[in-house]
Amino acid sequence: MAGGHHTTSLRTYALTRLALALPMIWILLTMVFVLLRVAPGDPISAALGGRLSPEQLQARREAAGYDEPLIKQYFEYLGNVVTLDFGETIVDNRPVTEVIRQNGAATLELTIAAFLVSLAVGIPIGLLCGRYRDTPIDIAGRLFGIVVYAAPVFFLGFLAQIVFSQWLGWLPSSGRASPVTTFDLNTTTNLYLIDSLLSLNFPAFKDVLEHLILPATTLGLVIGGVFIRLVRVNVLQTLQGDYIEAARARGLSERNVVWHHAFKNALVPVITVIGLQVALLLGGAVLTEQTFNWPGIGSELIRYLNNRDYIAIQGIITFFAVLVVIISLLIDLVNAWVDPRVRY
Amino acid sequence: MGRSLRILLLTGAALLVLAAAGCGGDDGGGGGGGTIVHGTTDQPVSYDPAGSYDLPSWNVIYNVIPGLLSLPPGGNQPEPALAESCVFDNPSTYTCKLRDGLKFSDGTDLTAEDVKASFDRVNRINDTNGPSSLFASLYKEAGKVTGQEVEVVDDRTVTFHLNKPDATWPFIMTTGGGGIVPSEYPANKLQPDASAVGDGPYKLAEYKPGEQTVLEKNDDYYGDTPKNDRVIIQYFDKSSALKLAVENGEVDLAYRNLTPTEIEDLRSADGLSVVEGNGTEIRYMVFNTKLAPGKDLAVRKAAAYIIDRQAIADNVYNGTVQPLYSMVPQGIAGHIDAFKTMYGATPNKAKAQQALQAAGVKTPVQAEIWWTPSHYGDSSADEYAEIKRAFDGSGLFKVQLKSTEWDQYSEAYAEDQYPIFQLGWFPDYPDPDNYLTPFYSTDNFLKNHYSNKEVDRLLADQKASTDQAHREQDFRRIQTIAAQEVPIIPIWQGKQIAAVRDGITGVDQTFDPSFQFRYWLIEKS
Repeated sequence: MAGGHHTTSLRTYALTRLALALPMIWILLTMVFVLLRVAPGDPISAALGGRLSPEQLQARREAAGYDEPLIKQYFEYLGNVVTLDFGETIVDNRPVTEVIRQNGAATLELTIAAFLVSLAVGIPIGLLCGRYRDTPIDIAGRLFGIVVYAAPVFFLGFLAQIVFSQWLGWLPSSGRASPVTTFDLNTTTNLYLIDSLLSLNFPAFKDVLEHLILPATTLGLVIGGVFIRLVRVNVLQTLQGDYIEAARARGLSERNVVWHHAFKNALVPVITVIGLQVALLLGGAVLTEQTFNWPGIGSELIRYLNNRDYIAIQGIITFFAVLVVIISLLIDLVNAWVDPRVRY
Repeated sequence: MGRSLRILLLTGAALLVLAAAGCGGDDGGGGGGGTIVHGTTDQPVSYDPAGSYDLPSWNVIYNVIPGLLSLPPGGNQPEPALAESCVFDNPSTYTCKLRDGLKFSDGTDLTAEDVKASFDRVNRINDTNGPSSLFASLYKEAGKVTGQEVEVVDDRTVTFHLNKPDATWPFIMTTGGGGIVPSEYPANKLQPDASAVGDGPYKLAEYKPGEQTVLEKNDDYYGDTPKNDRVIIQYFDKSSALKLAVENGEVDLAYRNLTPTEIEDLRSADGLSVVEGNGTEIRYMVFNTKLAPGKDLAVRKAAAYIIDRQAIADNVYNGTVQPLYSMVPQGIAGHIDAFKTMYGATPNKAKAQQALQAAGVKTPVQAEIWWTPSHYGDSSADEYAEIKRAFDGSGLFKVQLKSTEWDQYSEAYAEDQYPIFQLGWFPDYPDPDNYLTPFYSTDNFLKNHYSNKEVDRLLADQKASTDQAHREQDFRRIQTIAAQEVPIIPIWQGKQIAAVRDGITGVDQTFDPSFQFRYWLIEKS
């Protein structure tokens, strides 16, 4: 049976991908562990250096076990990761899983919204550019794509803050919600948009939405720039395909040919590339979070990096690595679902 | 489902959410009613007194978990807080009597047993980020408690048996480490931050790390009712975002850590004002007295004549700091402007030249000065460029500036690698001892090999004395000797500065050398 064969091959593919991901994650974890230990500094010195005497600092390092053999620390760490025990952060005693759950939700909300913005911007503009090749529409679209892709995300963000927040006063400049909303909102998922809807708190929904617009648009535009160029190229290639010629030869209207034959097929390769953009999106999220004071996991990662918090950094990097692997896998599966020709 | 339909569903969902994101309104500002929103880039470590040794944590602890003593607004001497009275029975025995009828914010009684449990657990837990080192005169060894150190005399009376005379003990009790928590707190591990309990003007309503801390008025508080119902401390990653937030009215006040340029910019902004007060954070330059050129007293004196503190305060910090002429800053009892008296308030090249010539020092003196780029803020680069400008400009010095990041820097200066180097200090408590013993004792924390027997004797003498006038006499003498021997050149003391929206009052009342931010004094009209 054809359907059964497809299911089996897809499952095998997914399992193979997972099996390959594990050594990749292990290498990454080992690199992070080694780099953090090789680099000068430690959490105690970062927090209390200049405040306690060198002797007192050393006593605290010993008490915390930072002077234990690296190999022992390494295997302890790996053992904990295997049991999904990421430990507690050193600088503020938070379970790393809580950091991932709370701050990760903020990042998830931002990246999903940014991703939707990138699709909403990238696909229509890319389609138009491809359809009207070498016209002013195409030139303007390509220029826009290059500018938003090339501009640093923090620069775009700062510009957006100045214009829409400071000059026009339309939108708040930073945060996930106003301070009072953040306090009043009942959180169950930690995705504020969803939480506000679940609790039927529409003023909070509006407030959260307003706070989301600038960071999501800023980050979304950067990724959208990639999509514009990608979709445009695919549309151009598709429009030169034999089946398009055949459709035209059958006497279909140009509008019908473009919309029903060219555009849809041009979007299929985009889905594959979406997976590759996830890492870029997460990297951009770190900078966007910093610019917009978005309390996501990227902001926390930078704070913990500044404080040399080994435990927190290791946990968050692991989370990022696993997330990228899972999303890549999901994208592959979606790709197969959308395009039945894709099989493994 | 057809392929085209699937694609359309995917893109349609994207457009739908975007369309939803497009609608917006004009609401969503900062606080309302009796709520004060304080924006800051400072992030707390822990709200357990046993697990914090940092200003942002202590600021909440001061408001939620006070100790037996506290520093009153504008004052620089400890006064009873949870205690009704505290006295030295002798230089190493200190007895406190609690107020009658104290209750924690969870409704339970606050007794002497809670006081003993609070102090003991700080030392027993000996947390990596905790303040146990402050209690060295109470507990002989960090991490170990014999049970004899804090004696419960009766329900309301507790006696501290110090292992050595310590006149600073009342000050230590005013720090965040001295906060009194219920004896139900875990004895061997930290209490989760979100469930902090104390008997302060506020109780902790919520703590979302990296986002906000919310304090609400504590109806069981023994003292005056706060002038607001609720305080939201909103955390910012970057000062630029904080500046925008206070300009837009998203926060009511921005306190710590706007840059000098941002503060200057906000001075002319509409709808807000910049409030300043005395600060006790200091910056200074250290000479390693074993290494050239600082091993030569004449060179150190010449440097003290040449340094231009006012230029640093004006040109680098836009007036957000003020010149410092002693390691003990202005506003602290016992402060004297020892360096100003000895070397003048402005650079004096002639005197510097005279000092060098008298000692037969060849000029220009080659001086390698180290500083660290980020640990003390972005202005350090400009500060040390200004110092180089003054030194080189005198023709008596030829300065080579060198820098490295804090991780390496903090180890290297203590290992005789830097002849002259930048450091800063944020006090644990506003007593001169906290500005002198760590820097001028023979085993000083700077590891710059400075040693003076008279200074050691005076430091020990003041610590053993409970007579404040006697102590201040010792402090003045130490500051004079320090200015004569110049192992360190004090440079500036920072002001406490906040950008405050119109209608917010009371911030100026809490700006004093204690560095405690007393939310209960702040009012929103």
